[in-house]
Parts: sequence; structure tokens; C-alpha cells
Amino acid sequence: MELIELLGYLAQPSVFLIVFSGVLVGILVGAIPGLNGAIGISLLLPLTFTLEPQLGLLLLGGIYMGGMYGGSITGILINVPGDVVAAPVAMEGYPMTQQGRAKEALYYSVFSSMFGGFIGVLVLILFTPPLARFALQFGPAEMFFISLSGLIIVGALSGSLFKAAFAVLFGLFISTIGIDMIMGRERFTFGQAELRSGVSVVPVVLGLFCFAEMFLNIGKKSTEQVQYKDQSIARLTVVMAIVRKKFLVIKSSLIGTLIGLLPGVGTTLAVFMSYGEAKRVSKQPELFEKGNPEGIIAAESANNATVGSSMVPLLALGVPGSPTSAIIAGALVIHGIILGPSLFVNRPDVAYTFLYGMLLTVLAMTIIGAVGIKYFSYILKIRMQYIVPTVLVLALFGAYSVRNSLFDVGVAIVLGIFGAVFKKMEVPLAPIIIGVVLGPLIETNLARSMRIASARDLSLPQYLLASPLAIGLLVMVLVLLVIVIRMRIRSARAEEQQGS
Amino acid sequence: MQNKPAIVLTTALALTLGAAFGAQAQDYPSRNIQIIVPYSAGGGGDTVARIVADVLSDELDRQVNVVNREGAGGEIGIAEIARANPDGYTLGVFGYPDNFVLEQTRETSFSFDDLEYLAGFDDMPMGIFASPNSEHTTLDDVRAYGQVNSGSLTVGESGALGLLHILAFADHLDIEVTDIKYSGGGELMNALLGNHVDMASTSSMSHDPIVDAGGTPIGFAAAERMDMFPDVPTFREQGVDLVMGVSRVLVAPAGIPDDVRDALTSALDAISTNETMIRNFENAAIPYNYLDHEAVNQVLEDSNATLTPIIQDNLDQFTDN
Repeated sequence: MELIELLGYLAQPSVFLIVFSGVLVGILVGAIPGLNGAIGISLLLPLTFTLEPQLGLLLLGGIYMGGMYGGSITGILINVPGDVVAAPVAMEGYPMTQQGRAKEALYYSVFSSMFGGFIGVLVLILFTPPLARFALQFGPAEMFFISLSGLIIVGALSGSLFKAAFAVLFGLFISTIGIDMIMGRERFTFGQAELRSGVSVVPVVLGLFCFAEMFLNIGKKSTEQVQYKDQSIARLTVVMAIVRKKFLVIKSSLIGTLIGLLPGVGTTLAVFMSYGEAKRVSKQPELFEKGNPEGIIAAESANNATVGSSMVPLLALGVPGSPTSAIIAGALVIHGIILGPSLFVNRPDVAYTFLYGMLLTVLAMTIIGAVGIKYFSYILKIRMQYIVPTVLVLALFGAYSVRNSLFDVGVAIVLGIFGAVFKKMEVPLAPIIIGVVLGPLIETNLARSMRIASARDLSLPQYLLASPLAIGLLVMVLVLLVIVIRMRIRSARAEEQQGS
Repeated sequence: MQNKPAIVLTTALALTLGAAFGAQAQDYPSRNIQIIVPYSAGGGGDTVARIVADVLSDELDRQVNVVNREGAGGEIGIAEIARANPDGYTLGVFGYPDNFVLEQTRETSFSFDDLEYLAGFDDMPMGIFASPNSEHTTLDDVRAYGQVNSGSLTVGESGALGLLHILAFADHLDIEVTDIKYSGGGELMNALLGNHVDMASTSSMSHDPIVDAGGTPIGFAAAERMDMFPDVPTFREQGVDLVMGVSRVLVAPAGIPDDVRDALTSALDAISTNETMIRNFENAAIPYNYLDHEAVNQVLEDSNATLTPIIQDNLDQFTDN
């Protein structure tokens, strides 16, 4: 297929309409707590069977892209991130809302998503084969080190180190519930069949971020609720501000792209890594978690950059890099499209239309976001007594819908109570999520390393450090550790000076 | 005499219930049907369920919805199918022998007979694939190397059937291998294609992506060569009598009324020759092989008898519960 022909195809109004609807659905499901792109995609999956394969794919790709952005809207406005990847954005965006800078935060969010999404798709178009080969080099040893580096990032977040450590350990504990992957032993299941499959991430996120926030709002008298003034700001001002931070945008997008490549690690790690890195290099680290747009830029460009790169192993090797791309793979299979290197030879029409069409999803997301922000911020005018029940109902529905399980609803409510208590005690919640996500990765990859090492008659360190990539990652882990400790010492000194 | 009202009541109740059941069967299906799939959306079992639901819904003139209820290797969803109301409105699709292996290796709330097996749709053999850099790409190589280097070959798998297949494979070759567990097909592919394991135990559905990326199929545990992959030898023709595969079955909870069951089986028989459905199976690289109610029960019984000794001999490999 010639490039001109391809662009002609993509310029058709019907194609743009499909992409646009996909992105809109994605933003909506992303914004609703508990629903995410993966759920939106499974809902619309049957619809794609009747569409041409490339159109069906673009519809799903649009949902994926929109879903990555939508979660930030509710995160910024009411401190309820619609999805785990929006948690760092809420950490910066909600304080901005409290300062009357909601629109500014929303513009930062959508335009950073645009840059990140664009870079991610560009990488997908230009570098799919070499990046797919790079992703394959990540075996158990490499995955172990990179997951470990994610845990260290927690130290870079602000607040008491001991409380952050407690939060991570609590998250790691939650992740041990269920049948363990390697030995098949039951842990903390108390004979409950529901607990055997473990506690899934979505109800934990809903409980900690959504239920907890709403529970804390319930007790407040209406006069105590903050009445936000909303300052207006020109879009161009924000775009220019982001462009001035081009190194941050590019670095965050690359972090998102590279980590998004790795199957199973997912976007959560990418988002927190780039957020932590932004704080490390920032000239105003003390403003983080108090409304620093740099945090939004870093998190948003990273999470939308993962959309493109998580499709790299899918398209090049048939290996889905995230749950969402696994469902997209399922949709392709029903169309009789075999993923892998042969895709570009056998069905170039599908492959290239999809690749370039993903650029359209970025465009549609930007348009919807930039135009819609005026309307999104009306949420702030709604009184808290209407928001609390609405969000709780949606969150209950969201918790149920992940696995169609009432048990998950219970998990979300229980963690909501924990979350409310933790918030009162100023225990940070984001490290809990990091623990829940990374715990199984660290454990299973270490266990796999041990098994493979003993099969090959190697000691564990010999196996772990067998590849240059693994050694490089170990060095990165150590360097990160040193950096985080130095950051801690510096901020402790700064506090001392302020105190004296 | 005091019993009389009770008898009258019981008779009345029985009549009402009978009428209710009769009416239900005549009208079946009077509302939408739900098919529970105990895996996440996008996998092979889910694909089969969606292809069948699509055609079945036209045949019965009711909506047939697929609901994913994943977790614990299928255990959660299968348990839910087994304890659903046996009225024909909750059905299930999963890959046999997942239920049988689970039931034999864990304390599940369901057993094989808690389900009524209505039909089978495919017959997908398991296979062993060598990684792109592996030096052991034939059955004889694997055997020769394995017999000298006990336990040093690593074989990846994702799921109980994959593990069972590895154990049976090693038993037949009289070698020891080390199995490495992965949580999903995607992770397993990544491990194989990145040469992190020497071999992978997975179904024939993965053939094309593995071969495209440089991997080699060592053999399929099929009774005869597959039409889709005529170049891949079976284990049998290489002198190893190992046949093992996954067969997606449509089930109802045991105890559904006979006429509801008959309505379902005749609808399934009717769609079994539907060209659109068969083409969709072909498109998805799933070897279509329809088994009607009688045939599926016969095949599963036979297969249970073959699998039982393999599972029992290796119980400690699965779990220590």
C-alpha cells in the first residue's frame, strides 16, 4: 500500500468518525472510576467483528488511547483517579484544582498526553522490529532488576520514609494473597475460593483512591468543603510551557516507551518511574505533590507513550504487552490475522493502516480534551453531596465489572476504609499500588531465575548477571538507590534549616 | 386424616411446579442466555465462546452474552458455572481438560459430573516448541541431551494443561526437565522467543508466531498430522505415544431439565454446519471439530481415563494442597 493511498484512506470522514468515537468511549470509561480502557475494549469487541479489520482495530486503539487520558480528568478535579495510571496525575492535579488552577492542570494533562501519545506512536511506526527484539532480551533476571528499581522510586515520593516503607510493604503483602505462581501454594486465602486468584489491582485502586476519598468527604459539613475558584488560562500558554520543558517531555515519553515495551510490567511502573525521575531533576522538588505541573507532564506523557510501545511486541511478535493489547490481539485473531513478523508481509494494509491510524487517535484525543475541558470542569460546580453518591455507585459498578465479582466489591470497600484511615494518618497511598503491582513481578521472576539457575547448574548471582543488559539494570538499581538516599538527606537538611 | 391438607398442598405444589417447568421448557428460551467463560477476554477459549454465541443467538432468537469470569486458572469461573441455576440460561464454555486437571489437583467445589457436557467445538493439540537459539530441535536431540543432562532443559508453560503436557512428555522420553511457570500465553511466548527457556509447552495455536520468529516445532501431541500444519510431525509418528490437547466444550450445570437440554443440543447440532461459524473458526486458526452431546461425553470419558494416571503420578508437581 502506497503512503499516499494510505493517507487517502485515513482522511475519509468515516475513518475519522470511528477513531473519534473510539477515543470518546475511551475517555469516558477512563474517567469513570473502576472502568478502564480494557473494559471499554471488551465491551466494544463484538462490534469490531462486523467492521473491516483495520477499522475495528482503530476503534479499539482509540479506546486504548482515550482511556489512558480519561482517568486524569476525575483525578485532577475530584482527586479520584479513574485508573491506576492516573494516580500520579491526581497527586499533582488535585492540589492545583484546590488552588483554582483546575483548567491549567487539565490543559497540562491533555497536551502532555498528546506529546506522549505522539512520540509513542512515532516509535511504533519507525522502530517496531528493533524494539521488539530489544523487548525479547528481558528475561527473568532483567525483569527482576527493573521491577526492583520501581520499588526504589517510592523513596523519591515525598512524605515520611517510614510511612512510605510501610505503604510499600502493605502493598507487597496484598500481592502475596492467593495461589502463588511458582509453587502453587495457597497464601492467606483462609480456604476462600475467591481469594485463591488473589486480589486484583483494580479494586485495590478503587478502594484506596476512590472509596477512601469519598468516605472522608461524607463526614464533612458543606461549609467545610472547599469552594474552588476557577481561573481561566489560554491553551497556548500551557502548550508553550510544555514545549519549554521539551527535555522533560521527551525523557518521560521515552521512559514510557521503553517500559511499556516489556510484557507484564505495564504502564504503572512507567508512569511512576517518569514521575519520580521528574521530581529528581526538578528545580522545585519541594513543590511536588503540592501542584507542580512538571509532575503532570511527566506522568501523562509517559502513560500515553506506552500505548504505542505496548503494541510493538504485539505487532512484531504476536506477544501482547498489556491486558488491553491482549484483547486487541484476540480481536485480530477472529479476523484471521496472524500477528508476528509475517503481518507486515501478509496484511500490510491492516498493519500500516493501523500504525498510521494511531496518529489519528492522538489527534482525536487532543481535540476532545482541548474542547471538552470547559465542560469537564463543570464537575467542580456540582455540590459534594451529589458527587459522593454518584462516584460511589460508579465505583461499586466498576469494582464489580472487572471480573464480574461481588467479592471484588467487598475488597474495594474494605480497602476504602483502610485508605481513609491511612489518609488521616498521612500514609501515602501510591506506594501501596506500586507494591501490589510489582510484588508478583519481583517474586515470580526471582523464583524463575532460581529454577533456571539450578537447571543450568549456575549459582543465582551467576545467572542473574549473565547478560550485559542485566548488569546494566543492576547498576541502574544501585544508582537509583544512591540518588534517592541523597534526595532524602537533602530534603531532611532543608527541613531542619526551615525549622531552626 | 390430618395429612389430607398436606397431601393436597403437596399435589398442588407439584402440579404448579410441573406446570412451571413444562411452560419453561416449551418456551425455552424465553429470555437472554449468558455464557460464562472462566478466562480473560481475548484468549482461545474466549474466542470460541464468542464465535459460538454469535451464531447460537441467531438460532435461538435470543441474545447470548459472553461473560468473562477469570481467575485461579479457570477455577473461579468453572465453579460459578457448576453452581448456577440449572435452567438453561447460564451456560459455560471452557477448554477441557482444565476442569478435570483442577479437580484432580486442588480441592475444587466442583467435580466432573457437576456439569452437563452439551457439545465440543474444537480439538487443539498441545505441542512442544524449541526456542530460536536452541540446539535441540528434534525429539531425538531432546531425548539424547535430556538423558545425559538430567533436569537441565527448561520448558516454559502457562497453565495446568501445559504443565501436565510437560510431565507426560518427560515421562514418555524417560528424561527429567525443569518446568518454568508463566502467567499467560504472552509471557510464555516472550520467554521462548527471547531464549530464556529452551522449550515451551503450548497449543498448536501458537505455531505461526513462534515459527515466524525463528522457533521450531518439535512435535504435536495429536493423533495424526494437522491439516493446518502438514509439516509438523506428531509425537506418535516419532515413536512416542502421547496425545493431549484442549477441546473447548459448551456446558450447562448438571440437572437442567431434559427438554431444555434437548432444545439446546438440537440448536447446537443445527448450527454445527453453519458456514460463517466454521469460517470464523478457520480464521482464528482454531481446528474446528464438532462433537455432539453423545460424542462429547464419550470422548471426555475416554480422555479422563487416559489423563488420570498421568496426573496421579505427578500430583506433587502441581501443588501441595
